Amino acid sequence: MKKVTVYIITALTITMFILLMNAGNYLKSPRGQDDNFPLHIKLLTENIKNEQWQKAGENLEKLALAWKKIVPRIQYSVEKDEINAINVNLARLKSYITTRDKSNALAELNEAFEHWNDLNR
Amino acid sequence: MNEAAVVLVRSIIGFFTLLIFARLLGKQQISQLTFFEYVLGITIGSIAASLSVDLTSRAWPHWVGLFTWTAIVFTLQWISVRSPCAAKYLVGEPTIIIMNGQIMENNMRKIRYTTSDLLEQLRDKGVFDLNQVAYAVLETDGQLSVLLKPEFQPVTPQDLNITPQNVGPGVELVSNGIVIEENLKKINQDRLWLESQLKEHGIENFSEVFLATYIPETGEFYIDKYNERDSV
Repeated sequence: MKKVTVYIITALTITMFILLMNAGNYLKSPRGQDDNFPLHIKLLTENIKNEQWQKAGENLEKLALAWKKIVPRIQYSVEKDEINAINVNLARLKSYITTRDKSNALAELNEAFEHWNDLNR
Repeated sequence: MNEAAVVLVRSIIGFFTLLIFARLLGKQQISQLTFFEYVLGITIGSIAASLSVDLTSRAWPHWVGLFTWTAIVFTLQWISVRSPCAAKYLVGEPTIIIMNGQIMENNMRKIRYTTSDLLEQLRDKGVFDLNQVAYAVLETDGQLSVLLKPEFQPVTPQDLNITPQNVGPGVELVSNGIVIEENLKKINQDRLWLESQLKEHGIENFSEVFLATYIPETGEFYIDKYNERDSV
């Protein structure tokens, strides 16, 4: 194999690795409406602020579904702890919405959004 | 999150990155490494291991660490090759331990080298009597180089006024019963010649041969047959 080919393959391999390790920000951005995590957070915040608990429950399910779709895409580029933290936030949020605990539900949502922003940072 | 899949992908990244970086750093063997280079190797390996299995942090910072350590080692190697003065500080200097048969105690103290270290390394070189040693130098990689006094040095063909025959490395002609045509061409011979040569050694078929090598300068063969029983 020619030396140039070896250099090209090496450079391509390194570039591919760097892109894969840093693709989190790009991969977490929505591909459609159903995996738009920030949008669902925003809607859910509005629901909780207005104490629309029925709608909040529905939007929480959509948020969890969106998160479930995003995780396989971003798992190679982000921290496992951040993923786990958002999982915990969603689980707690479910309980707060069920018990109609407005302040804790809002705090949990804010924390989940913070973790979302910290992904791939 | 599929942890196994993430570890798999990160391991592939770590493995090939380490392979590329190790090739970049050169071909020194473990025995030729100084203590510092040895520690550097362990550190780089440890970072690669973290990149592979430490899922509590992203792969990227580990990769940057791996790159940085490799880049620093590469830079120091580059400087050492170009500047002997810098190499003296970066790699260190050999230390004379025995000079004209006398042990240099002060030098030993400076580098915290004990007499048992000295005797052990001399024994390793096949020297059991300190009276035989003219010079002993502790190299930067920790190896002891020993120069014996002239009366204890082994006799060479030159001392005996003998001109030894020049012998090159043996050429592999048959391996695992298969003739290596490429090597036959190198010595300007063909299968027929090899067949006749093997017949002289009582071999009828190539498949009987496990290994056959040939030294062109002397015309000597080394032949190992399959049917010879390996005894323990």
